[in-house]
Amino acid sequence: MSHRRAFLQQSLGVAVLGGTMPMAFMRAANAQALPALGTSINPGNVLVVVQMGGGNDGLNTIVPWSDDNYHRARPVIGVAETTVLKLNDRIGLNPSLAGMNELYKQGRVAIIQGVGYPNPNRSHFEATQIWETASPERPQTTGWLGRYLDRQFPLGTKPASLFEAVALGDTLPAALVAQHVEVAAIGALNSYAYNTVKDVKTSAGVLYDGAKPGGSPYLGLIADTARQAYHGGDVLRGKLATYTPAVTYPTDPFSTQLKLAAQLIGSNVGTRIIFVSIGSFDTHANQRVQQDRLLKYMGDGLLAFYNDLAAHGLDKKVMTMTFSEFGRRVTQNASNGTDHGTAMPLFVIGGGVKGAIYGEHPSLTDLDHGDLKYGIDFRGVYATVVERWLGRDPAPIVGDGFGQVAFV
Amino acid sequence: MQNKLDTSTDPQVGFRPSGTLDPATALQPFDGRFGPRQAAHLLRRAGFGGSAADVADFSSRGMSGAVDALLHPTGDDLSFPDYPATDVLMGVNGGQAKLATQMWWLDRMLRTRRPLVEKMTLFWHGHFATSIQKVPAPLMARQIDLFRAQGLGNFRTLLASVSVDPGMLIWLDNRANTKAHPNENYAREVMELFALGLGNYTEDDVKEVARALTGWQYDGKTETTVFNPKLHDDDSKTFLGRTGNFGLDDVVNTLVMQPIHQRYLTRKLLEYFVYSDPEPELIEAVAQTYALSGYDIAKTVGTILRSNVFYSARAYRAVPKSPIEFTIGLLRYAGQPAVPANLPDALRRMGQEPLAPPSVKGWDGGPTWINTNTLLARFNFVNGFIATSAPKRPATSATPAAATMAAVPPAVAPAPNVQPDAVVAAAGGLNPDRVVEVIVSGALQDDVTSDVRRTLTDYLDSTGTTPANGEANPMAFGPENYQEKIRGAIALTLNLPVNQLN
Repeated sequence: MSHRRAFLQQSLGVAVLGGTMPMAFMRAANAQALPALGTSINPGNVLVVVQMGGGNDGLNTIVPWSDDNYHRARPVIGVAETTVLKLNDRIGLNPSLAGMNELYKQGRVAIIQGVGYPNPNRSHFEATQIWETASPERPQTTGWLGRYLDRQFPLGTKPASLFEAVALGDTLPAALVAQHVEVAAIGALNSYAYNTVKDVKTSAGVLYDGAKPGGSPYLGLIADTARQAYHGGDVLRGKLATYTPAVTYPTDPFSTQLKLAAQLIGSNVGTRIIFVSIGSFDTHANQRVQQDRLLKYMGDGLLAFYNDLAAHGLDKKVMTMTFSEFGRRVTQNASNGTDHGTAMPLFVIGGGVKGAIYGEHPSLTDLDHGDLKYGIDFRGVYATVVERWLGRDPAPIVGDGFGQVAFV
Repeated sequence: MQNKLDTSTDPQVGFRPSGTLDPATALQPFDGRFGPRQAAHLLRRAGFGGSAADVADFSSRGMSGAVDALLHPTGDDLSFPDYPATDVLMGVNGGQAKLATQMWWLDRMLRTRRPLVEKMTLFWHGHFATSIQKVPAPLMARQIDLFRAQGLGNFRTLLASVSVDPGMLIWLDNRANTKAHPNENYAREVMELFALGLGNYTEDDVKEVARALTGWQYDGKTETTVFNPKLHDDDSKTFLGRTGNFGLDDVVNTLVMQPIHQRYLTRKLLEYFVYSDPEPELIEAVAQTYALSGYDIAKTVGTILRSNVFYSARAYRAVPKSPIEFTIGLLRYAGQPAVPANLPDALRRMGQEPLAPPSVKGWDGGPTWINTNTLLARFNFVNGFIATSAPKRPATSATPAAATMAAVPPAVAPAPNVQPDAVVAAAGGLNPDRVVEVIVSGALQDDVTSDVRRTLTDYLDSTGTTPANGEANPMAFGPENYQEKIRGAIALTLNLPVNQLN
């Protein structure tokens, strides 16, 4: 039974930079420290994190096609050997991942097998918190990417851009919650904007630009943030218009978000971290319909994304990483689906990645109550990305002692 | 064990209003002027705000009468459905059940004649921070009803009831806490989050309290809580300095007896009702009131709502409105008869999805409500609401007579208080200065600078342009454009930074 604790600033025992200054001051000070909007910023290495929400079934993603145990456990939903996209004489890709297969053949894809952590949690809410805050034992209110941002921009320094880190969606995922760095949530281009008729909008601009602090300490914070919010949408739209996609993306929602991600990266608005979700992979029933469709969106979308980036000379500086809150059980259930499980594979694609297969495929016979045993702790994958791609010491962000994986 | 308030995880620290508290008089009953500003302040803090008419009504009662009306409402409330329809609640689609339960509660907040009761319900929901992500919708609804029924009563009773509430038994796993297999989750959180705060108990206390709380089960068939003595550890326990064969009631009694509990809870009440990061002397004074009252929440809240500090300039517009306060406040001001269907989603984007707190800690409030995403969500909610608040007009080529009450369809108009014709009538005509006065006094009790008034007037009248040929300025405020312009001015006013302050 997991012990979930509301455990706040005690992150990994490391003092927050800024010493005893209360968090409120950090936020207030930083609101005024946001840079002038509209400057072009070439941000260096970019990380895109793709959340496969709902718990993606790893066994039908990276298929152990030559293992009889697999076919015995999944007489109906198993991927037939004749259809699997073989990667070697043991594993292959679900046929819906043709786009991913193409990227793999280009040497751009690292497949990391058997990723998980000890005492795995099988609840969507709790397991997602665990993956996004990188804290199986002691839940935290900051996310792993949020902690990266807090360290990258300690109090007194400013982020390079209001859009340094962006969640593509209406709300911030737990992974991006930071103590003092602002992160934008862009649901659609229209929603990150002050939406009203032109003359109202003009007057709103006058009101926010002229708003004077005074009175409550909150008034200054609100006025500053209102200014940033008001102008940010216009600046964003103006800059995004300078980037034209070089390919036609598929029309599903995930691919549409990747198209926006490419625009953010390519228009030099300064985005360095992007979080995007696809789902739901919670395939308790009729798995082959739902999962295959989503894997196709994911594979084809990512192929278009990297083709687009490559055409603009940007593919080498963008690394994309998938994760899911858990894998699923080995044996299919009575509804031609699978139930919540444990370990699963991740994909890491693009910039600097040495395309290959990493880690061992989990055994289908040496199981933990019917579930796959993990081999690589997910925090080691995060540590690899933080250190070797984002260039920071991972210990204060995800903790110490997790083996890194040499995919970059 | 430190027995002190640990505020290191409270982001509201650092946002105390400037100026000094006078501890000697802070909690004494306020006897200054109780006019529209004070009445509106009380309505915002003790409820969800109100219309200009509500403010006028409250201000006419005087402070004592107004607070009494909130604490001891007479007359029936409106009638509300007990729960959302059973088939929706029990439906396969969890998203629908969640939405239905959210709308059910938001409707209550919007229309209740007992706003303080509902405001306390919301307080306890944040305090006991249970989420529909794990607890089924019917049990969430039931927990909200529990807060409504007991939220202004005795805290000891409330804490005991919540500890064995079915939703809570599921949420913090106490239903799995048995003598043979203890589960410490609830024991830890009841001390850390609900009663004492971080650092005011030991790990041994957690283990022993867990033992005392064993045996409580949730029976899904009857949907009731059942105590199973066979699963209860009835040996002696020792926690917080007391020893005995303790059970639930002993745990509750021991917790509320702790002075640190009294300070912990009253600090939260002060941040909810008065201002961020209250002074230790103020906390101490309210804690004493709370303890002396025998842990009576209504008496404690009543003392706060009648106090000098509550009506002080320092407390006035001193804290950001939470998303629920902002949106329900807007709807009440506008006289909106029903909750718009997009409200739960908007609240989610503003960071306060009802029934789904982001963590066991609830919502931190204060500066955490304010970032570019949440402000854009607030601004766009206002813009959308005002734009769609126009009643549907029958197709007609006749333009309404602008100087009189126009031929507005008399049927239930959405948002009657923000209809342009009502504003024109109150202003006595199409005078931009008067229209601005009406809007700004109704929405904000005149809490704006002259610069803001000027910008609003300029917006209405577009006085920046002067036609060259002497004809009437086509952009001047007049019969052709007054409706659109007044709606715009109302939206601009509601989106001012000062309107984000409670």
